[in-house]
Amino acid sequence: MGSEFDQYLSTFIDETKEYMSTLNEQMLLLEKEPDNMEAINEIFRTIHTLKGMSGTMGFSNMAKLSHRMENIFDLIRTEKLRVTHENSDLLFAGVDLLEKMTDVISTGGTDESVDISQVLSHYERILRGEELEDTSSNNHHENVEKPPQKPMEESEVSSDSPIDIPNEVMSVLSEGKDSGYKPYYAKIKLEEGTLLKSARMYMVFHKLEELNSEVLYSKPDVEKIEDEAFDREVEIIFLSKLTETKLAKALSSISEIENVQIFVLTVTNESGGKPMNESEYSEQLSSKTNDEPQNLKEANNKQTNQEDEDSNVKKPQTASSKLTRTIRVDTEKLDTLMNLMAELVIARSRINETLKKYEIKQVDESLAQLTRNTSDLQNIVMKIRMVPISYVFNRFPRMVRDLARKNNKEIQLIISGQETEVDRTVVEEIGDPLVHLLRNAVDHGVESTEERMKLGKPSTGIVRLDAKHEGNNVVIDVQDDGKGLDRDRIISKAVERGLVDEMSAANLSDEEVFFFIFMPGFSTMDKVTDLSGRGVGMDVVKTSIENLNGSISIESEKGKGTKVTIRLPLTLAIIQALLVKVSNLVYAIPIASIDSTLNLPTSEIQIVQSREVVVIRGEIIPIVWLKEIFQLSVDEDKENIHVVIVKVGNKKFGLVVDGLLGQDDIVIKSLSKLLKDVNEFSGAAILGDGSISLILEIANIVHQNV
Amino acid sequence: MGKRVLIVDDAAFMRMILKDIVTKNGYEVAGEAANGLEAVERYKELKPDVTTMDITMPEMNGIDAIKKIKEADSEAKVIVCSAMGQQAMVIDAIQAGAKDFIVKPFQHSRVIEALNKVTG
Repeated sequence: MGSEFDQYLSTFIDETKEYMSTLNEQMLLLEKEPDNMEAINEIFRTIHTLKGMSGTMGFSNMAKLSHRMENIFDLIRTEKLRVTHENSDLLFAGVDLLEKMTDVISTGGTDESVDISQVLSHYERILRGEELEDTSSNNHHENVEKPPQKPMEESEVSSDSPIDIPNEVMSVLSEGKDSGYKPYYAKIKLEEGTLLKSARMYMVFHKLEELNSEVLYSKPDVEKIEDEAFDREVEIIFLSKLTETKLAKALSSISEIENVQIFVLTVTNESGGKPMNESEYSEQLSSKTNDEPQNLKEANNKQTNQEDEDSNVKKPQTASSKLTRTIRVDTEKLDTLMNLMAELVIARSRINETLKKYEIKQVDESLAQLTRNTSDLQNIVMKIRMVPISYVFNRFPRMVRDLARKNNKEIQLIISGQETEVDRTVVEEIGDPLVHLLRNAVDHGVESTEERMKLGKPSTGIVRLDAKHEGNNVVIDVQDDGKGLDRDRIISKAVERGLVDEMSAANLSDEEVFFFIFMPGFSTMDKVTDLSGRGVGMDVVKTSIENLNGSISIESEKGKGTKVTIRLPLTLAIIQALLVKVSNLVYAIPIASIDSTLNLPTSEIQIVQSREVVVIRGEIIPIVWLKEIFQLSVDEDKENIHVVIVKVGNKKFGLVVDGLLGQDDIVIKSLSKLLKDVNEFSGAAILGDGSISLILEIANIVHQNV
Repeated sequence: MGKRVLIVDDAAFMRMILKDIVTKNGYEVAGEAANGLEAVERYKELKPDVTTMDITMPEMNGIDAIKKIKEADSEAKVIVCSAMGQQAMVIDAIQAGAKDFIVKPFQHSRVIEALNKVTG
């Protein structure tokens, strides 16, 4: 059915996904603060929009489910239903189903394939339970949800029968006569399939009001019309100064009106109201009472009052609002833009270098201008690619809630710094490692409620997720106040695996000990996780962080908790690098992995356990000669060597190079797929002079050579 | 030249649908707005011949937006877009000065009928 709308599908999916994250976020908030009206309204609005969107796309299961959820939130909104953990679970289940349907739809499936019957029947029960308690006041709600149309036959009963005019109406008719008003009878029939019939009929009344006409009587009465308790026809009696033709034209101009029959009314007292000649009319009406048709008047008053209240209530809200205007852009276009930008910067540098030789003043000025413009442009392009890390963080409250409930733990997730901006590529990659760390914190870090009570800790465990900028890095902390890492357990495991001998293990710092859990296969070996409280697949986490040019470290105190710190570059597209010379080639070393640089006499190289090392401030640092690794021609021995000290994890290594050329921003170009087996290099960069420099993948070089 | 329509809906998706319907039927899209506040601003700036107005929107809802638009231009022609079950809101909107309403999911013919009637 959605085929005619295929072109809208991607917008639909994108937007729906955004709404899903809003829903999750607001529902979590609501669960904590069941009276938070803002959250309730936001959810209601979101669900409502989803209902409309999915209905339009013809996704009937989605529409059905969101419709029911909307009904429930309507009850919550009108304070007929309280938010509890139980119905929260059910509503979350609904959100999950909506999410699932979105996923199915986005992969080309249909929402019909997702079974929503179980959740729906729960919802029906919630809704029914409410109605039993509240039938009197809750009429409106129920009536609105009725199928828009009843079968035709039911309606025909009242259609052509002459209208019965109550006495009090008759009396008003006579008053009208005196003031120049003519009484009219009209029969208005709506088109078949008209939706929101009450509102449509209301337009008829409204139109008459605008034309200074006064409706005295209607059949069915106004309350029934409001409740949509009519089929397609309504008969009315009203006073107006206008002619039949004008009235008929005005009423027919309203949409979805099939036809309007209208004529001047004449009344006989005895028959109670049959259409008659106007000439007879004046003589027939004699008695006067001041009764007015109550229901209509009251209804009108009620509506105006409500309108006033509404506008009063809503004003403060609008004052504080803020406008944001955004457009959606295909991320591929952004990547291309970034790439072009990089090329432009390189071209600029080349022109710069070439022209420098000639020292032409005019050119220098315009070059300076060009340089400023390109760097501004580069900054903006960078910023466009930046997204707040909340894109990743947003799903965590929900995940932690579910995990905690599953483990029967009480856990509060405190997120801070979610507005910290990072490059889109980082955001895409950081999700899984963070999921891993949070899972560990919840599953293994935080103790069970009973255990915490026994230990005298607050029963609710706290997991913190924090992001912040630090220089050109973004630092993400995942911290819990759980049991912490068990140093002794880790050491005994490490000894068992032959990673370290017992003697030297005793001398290791905590940091060094904790580092073992990053070793491949360390944790999965023997369920160390359950004992140590940490470690499932930490090697995987570490690898993914390192692939992002980042680093990871752990601090932990037994009984107090654990803190994992991830450090990532703001962007993966541009990095700061130290350019070094090896033989006659230029290589780039990411600044992020550099600790320091040294210039040493060759004589300071010592041999420890048949390895070349240097000792710096008492620290023994193994060294590697890059020219040996890359098998470049070896110059005759020099007196001094340049050593770049790099950090891999918490360990330091020295890379021996022939010279340091300086620091530069370089744009990473990935290596072709044909070179995928080359793991010493993470990519290449084009330098200012147009030459190409390979970027060293420090971690791999060190692992393979030390 | 076709009559100019301002399309107001917080869902870009819905705006897209409406845009498509109106342009296919000889109307011109004067602009779009994603909430009531923006709608009022854009209305003043664009002076469209007709505005389609969603009801439930963040920042400022459609009904308040209609009131504001009417304050600025008593001749403003606004069609409210509602979903099933919003009867009371639609009535409020008509009281606020909306000329017609259309119900989601939209039927093309209804949208066009409403536009033609309101602008005709």
